[in-house]
Amino acid sequence: MARNSFKIFPGALVCEESKLRGDITVGAGTIIHPSASIIAEAGPIIIGENCLIEEQAKIIHRLPFDQQNKDNTPVLIIGSHNVFEVDCTIEAPKIGNNNVFESKCFVGNKVTVSNGCTIGAGCRITDEQILKENISIFGSKCQIRESIDKPVPQILQMETLMKILPNYHHIRKPNKKH
Amino acid sequence: MMSKISRTMELQDINYNKLDYVETASGNKVCRQTVLCGSQNIILQGKVIVQAEAIIRGDLANVKTGRYCIISKEAVLRPPYKKFSKGVAFFPLSIGDHVFIGERTLINAAQIGNYVHIGKNCVIGRRCILRDCCVIEDNTILAPETVVPPFSRYGGAPGVPVGDLPECQPDLMIDYTRSYYQHFQPTKLI
Amino acid sequence: MSYITGPDVVKYACTCGLLKPIPQLYFCKHCLQIRCRFCVCHEVDSIFCGKCSENIPSAEARVKKNRCANCFICPSCQQELSTRIASKGPANPDDAKSPIKKTYYLSCYFCRWSSRDVGIPDQPSATGGWPERENVHINRLQEVLDTYKQIMHSEKQQKESDKRKQRGKFVSYTDKTGVTASALRKRIGLPDIPHAMLKKPKPPEPAVAKAEVDELPESIFTEPIKLMEVTTIEQRLMQPECQPLTVDKLFPVHKQLSIKQSLRCRTCEHNVSKPEYNPNSVKFKIQLLAYCYIPEVRFVTVEPLRAGQTVELIIKFTNPTQYQTTITILDLDLDEQAQYVEEQKLIDLTQNLEQALSLQEKQPMSLPSLPYSSGSQPSSLLSLPRLPSVIVKPRKIFTETNCDVAIPESSFILPPRDDAAEYDDSSEVHNFEDDPKLIKWRKSNKAFVKLAVTPRADLKLGDEVVCGFTMQHIYTNVLPPAVENKQPQKYDHKVRVFLTLGKVVGSE
Repeated sequence: MARNSFKIFPGALVCEESKLRGDITVGAGTIIHPSASIIAEAGPIIIGENCLIEEQAKIIHRLPFDQQNKDNTPVLIIGSHNVFEVDCTIEAPKIGNNNVFESKCFVGNKVTVSNGCTIGAGCRITDEQILKENISIFGSKCQIRESIDKPVPQILQMETLMKILPNYHHIRKPNKKH
Repeated sequence: MMSKISRTMELQDINYNKLDYVETASGNKVCRQTVLCGSQNIILQGKVIVQAEAIIRGDLANVKTGRYCIISKEAVLRPPYKKFSKGVAFFPLSIGDHVFIGERTLINAAQIGNYVHIGKNCVIGRRCILRDCCVIEDNTILAPETVVPPFSRYGGAPGVPVGDLPECQPDLMIDYTRSYYQHFQPTKLI
Repeated sequence: MSYITGPDVVKYACTCGLLKPIPQLYFCKHCLQIRCRFCVCHEVDSIFCGKCSENIPSAEARVKKNRCANCFICPSCQQELSTRIASKGPANPDDAKSPIKKTYYLSCYFCRWSSRDVGIPDQPSATGGWPERENVHINRLQEVLDTYKQIMHSEKQQKESDKRKQRGKFVSYTDKTGVTASALRKRIGLPDIPHAMLKKPKPPEPAVAKAEVDELPESIFTEPIKLMEVTTIEQRLMQPECQPLTVDKLFPVHKQLSIKQSLRCRTCEHNVSKPEYNPNSVKFKIQLLAYCYIPEVRFVTVEPLRAGQTVELIIKFTNPTQYQTTITILDLDLDEQAQYVEEQKLIDLTQNLEQALSLQEKQPMSLPSLPYSSGSQPSSLLSLPRLPSVIVKPRKIFTETNCDVAIPESSFILPPRDDAAEYDDSSEVHNFEDDPKLIKWRKSNKAFVKLAVTPRADLKLGDEVVCGFTMQHIYTNVLPPAVENKQPQKYDHKVRVFLTLGKVVGSE
């Protein structure tokens, strides 16, 4: 596994009790709650701006079995304004913007997530596919429906969290300049 | 654990390592391997068991549990937020007496009444209200803002009513949580 | 706990012969019998909405077709919809100080469906004014409904007039009722002109079956199907009146109301359960639950079961009442139960016979001169005091037991329940002379009892072992005594208990 190296942009809020492994870049305005884990196993993870990663969420950069042992190290790029709720497990190789991964959902490492998708609570998606924009997946049968607009960004919640969390948690210092 | 309970009916002793738990004057038994954020905002009324790796987010808002609550391993208690035109506020999470919360369950509810049994691996969505005497089966996903009326049993994803409960449900829950607490004993050193 | 999650290991036999776990049983204090949900009368006590927790009068519920006027569920995933505020600019965009105009729309937090998806305009008030959809079949439904209402009405009229006929032993021909006029006409051989209200309503036009249906449109065969635009079966069945085919026709559905039930013993017509009116309350005005009156038996442990070998079974008895009780374990004696069933049948039969006889006697007396038209019911039936709804006849207990229980010689005493005992850790001293062969251990109102059980010799590996016994306990009746200073009455009450012990394991 790669050595730990974290690049945290100013304005990001990364709690020290979160579990980070490998080469991870955290964009400005992103909040990582305590007990969240981000594991860059197969290559670096770059998290965009204003993402919200809650406790017990697991973002794992892990390659499918048939793609392992290749020379190039792929980078997992996660766009902006994504929300990773409590106890979700995300192994997707590419994630766009404005997606919501609800609690206890599972996204396998063959699933590419575009923009504005909602993966409902408890849904398991493992088959190889590219999720279309603005769809929401919900229910035990992973029913899909198309929405007319993308999920509402959580800017207001994050503003509140930015104020609250530093009062209770140790925060990793940003080490990167704009 | 669950299968063991149902097979024998009468609870067997549940043993824990004495060093792993802190017991307070009011009889709360809290595991040391838990994440209690903002512990000054967490009120456990007494005889409450909080098991290993449970997370209680008192930093977001107050969390209050009643007497004889069991918070199983890796459960998450997280006060819900509510959006207003001027911003977001986190609201207190209150839990009644004699409540069982199963393993790996996420509680994002606004209110949980008395005598409630929540199975394992459930998601209780944002600002749900669980009234007194209800049962949430294992692996249930309750949509945000669901109201669960008394004496109902919810299951599935999304959670829907799947049955009724007998009138003596309060007595059953009192008996269960009490005997769970009585059987939750440190391993005796030989 | 198993009452909440697991399978039922211990079952009690209801008076009607069904086996149920004790939380599902009731104990009628007046008949001193166990009742289950199948042998009590269910009545709707109150109607409420589970979402807004408001009581709704039954008349209003009927008008609204048992649905809540204010709460909606999502037509896409059947979850409750939330009202959301749409951020709208000020009412007057030129004047920055004018109050902000708020509009509302419905939205589902689970599948992200919103009322905007199907083009329902945002509403200016939070509590409704949501457009209701016209049902295309409303005229036809109304027609059919009206007809049935008329039928109901005319039947009611008929009943009432029959009742009037019945009053008094002698029919007075000078009575100023239509009935006498009609009777008079019959007497003198004129055709009976039915009363205007008694006329048979005109039936609506019957539906016509058609074999020819429209051809399927061409596009069905040529265009690829878009699964995301087609509704699921669940979505269609949720709106049976329109059954939308495509998702753009999914409109919010009013939430179905819930009820609180009261239960009544069919034999004595006393309530065994009556809830409080408040929808959020979990208290009861009347609660005659078996769990609160009959000692509870719990399975604790049993040695590995082997066919033909006697093993030790430990069960726990708990006394839930405020009175001391004595428990005696007796033989199951299913023959006795069968006999009881037969007796009940006999009683039933004689009662029916008596009833039939009394009918015969009454009929000629009450209406000596009126011949009945073939269509009308014998009126004396209606005159009988309303019988309690059908009494469920007990049936035989069919559960096969395949394990013998050695009946202990002695009985044991269970002290009353003491709620304060929980706070009292001091060791209790009992002065019960327990048979050490029977009682393993006891604490407050609980006792752990040893029983010797022998699975039958012919059981095969993996067979489920079921044993049973009759538990006799002393039930202390605390009904308000008829005579003052009367001691609470004590009764011996017997209940048959069945235990599923587990499977037969291999020999050592």
